[in-house]
Amino acid sequence: MQPPPDLYGRPRADRLFSALAPVVAGYQRLSERSARRQPDVRPVDRDLTLVVRSVVAEADGVVSLWLTDPTGNLLPRWRPGSHLDVTLPSGTRRQYSLCGDPADPTVYRIAVRLVGAGSAEMHAVAEGSTLTVRGPRNAFPFVDRGPYLFVAGGIGITPILPMVRMCARRGVDWRLVYTGRTLESMPFLDELSALPTTDRVRVVPDDGVPDIAELLADAPSGASLYCCGPTSMIDAVRREWTGPLHFERFSPPPVVGGKPFELQLGAEGPVVPVAADESALEALRRVRPGAAYSCRQGFCGTCRVRVIDGEVEHHGGAVADGSMLVCVSRAAGDRLVLDV
Amino acid sequence: MDENLVLHPRNVRFDWASVPLHWVPGEPLTSHTINTLHIVLPEGERWFVEVFREALPLITDDELREQVTGFIGQEAMHAEAHQGAADHLAAQGLDPTPFVAQIEWLFRKLLGDRDLTGAAKHQWLLERLSVIAAIEHFTAVLGQWILNSAPLDKAGADPTMLDLLRWHGAEEVEHRAVAFDLYMHLDGRYLRRIRTMIVVAPVLGWLFVRSARWLMANDPLKPGRARWRDYFRAARIGLLPRLSELLPAIWRYLPRGYHPRDEGSTDQAVAYLAQSPAAKAAS
Repeated sequence: MQPPPDLYGRPRADRLFSALAPVVAGYQRLSERSARRQPDVRPVDRDLTLVVRSVVAEADGVVSLWLTDPTGNLLPRWRPGSHLDVTLPSGTRRQYSLCGDPADPTVYRIAVRLVGAGSAEMHAVAEGSTLTVRGPRNAFPFVDRGPYLFVAGGIGITPILPMVRMCARRGVDWRLVYTGRTLESMPFLDELSALPTTDRVRVVPDDGVPDIAELLADAPSGASLYCCGPTSMIDAVRREWTGPLHFERFSPPPVVGGKPFELQLGAEGPVVPVAADESALEALRRVRPGAAYSCRQGFCGTCRVRVIDGEVEHHGGAVADGSMLVCVSRAAGDRLVLDV
Repeated sequence: MDENLVLHPRNVRFDWASVPLHWVPGEPLTSHTINTLHIVLPEGERWFVEVFREALPLITDDELREQVTGFIGQEAMHAEAHQGAADHLAAQGLDPTPFVAQIEWLFRKLLGDRDLTGAAKHQWLLERLSVIAAIEHFTAVLGQWILNSAPLDKAGADPTMLDLLRWHGAEEVEHRAVAFDLYMHLDGRYLRRIRTMIVVAPVLGWLFVRSARWLMANDPLKPGRARWRDYFRAARIGLLPRLSELLPAIWRYLPRGYHPRDEGSTDQAVAYLAQSPAAKAAS
């Protein structure tokens, strides 16, 4: 192992790095001895099987599910903004914000609006049945640094509700702007009006596009803004609001207008079909669950792989010739052969 | 992972055009000591990503795998952001290539995969995971330090550079438990954890001293040699971490009950990310 040249341009190898080379080589040989008494890696199962204690209609097209441990054990604690990963009967996973009381460790509450196949499955869940969930985990952390302005759009009220309750309990300065298509479609209005300080809540039923600038106008001075709602609302808030801003970053947008193609994993490797509405990464991970990726939006470069054959339709950031970002790029033709 | 925070990379961008070489005005040693990050971290963090990539298939805990996945993307973005700052050093006449060549050798050759096979390869992977856990202990300490470093604002430090450092510091605080949890999951032996810390702590210190000296010596504005006296003065007024803040961090890593959750404040990191110009503009 040839050490690097001297740092100050003297005509010899760098002395310190030269000295370091045998030390690290010796250290590495020492590390081999640790193979004796190597502890096993234990599989960790984080699934919770919970029973649906009750199902409550909260608004038009919205039900809440109350989940408890069937053996009466206490549930893991959570902070406002947390969600559960729910495995649906079909095997699909969906994330739902916890909208109950964080101080009550005996029950979780989630609320589901009926849109699409996943939520239809959740609406079909009956009292007394069991659900497999994982979590709670927090992608929308609520920080004790008021005053606050909360902006919720429709079912986006779910993570905000526990935050608002905590504010009401602590007596800090806060406001809530809650928009929805109609009053009948907006869940938890009754719980909001039962709060001790209802003048802090502004309910805006609006069929059109709400005027965001106007909604943000009555923020307390120096407020941190917490926003949850449709992407269009979050984008508008991001454009208008100059103060501290918290919002939940959802998983990447679905693949739209993609064509199906095939991935071959290695020159002699297996062939995996990629459906029109999934990314090459999703298909790759079915076969190689340990494949590295991170952002799933084509900017971090973690998932970059070398392409042995086939023409790539590139999306996302620039990559070196002959490679692709499997999280966003697709095949221009029928098949790509990847060096994985 | 008591906080149960979901980690995700942020697609940040920084415009270096207006950032001066001595970005803390009148403080070349402070500027260059912190500039060490730009010339060491791009290679270092790419090495983290390579080592973690090798560890990914061994993980048998879905939640930890998700944390590691978020960690890798954050580290990759840190490497890119600091690379931009390093390129800006070069554009200002301080070409870091000779120093970076050594760092490249350090991470790619000395700490690379060394063409090992079988048990030796596996043990070397575990050893390097333990090294990363030890380094991440210090990045959490330094991340928390930079979030609290009001004297830098008072000294008129460049806001773009401060945002890079604090965005990075906040993400280090956010993900401070991941490398440790990964090491504990795949190995967890106390002796290995301690012996790597004994190596990592002095090497990190040595790298900062070496790089600050070299940057001062090669600075086209000729600020003079790096002197310990200037470090102690800067540390006393809070422009750099004091030794009395850094050395005790080593001891805190040694107890068997150590866990990174006790270092730094997630709430403070989250609050900074909510107001960081780069993080707010990130997609």
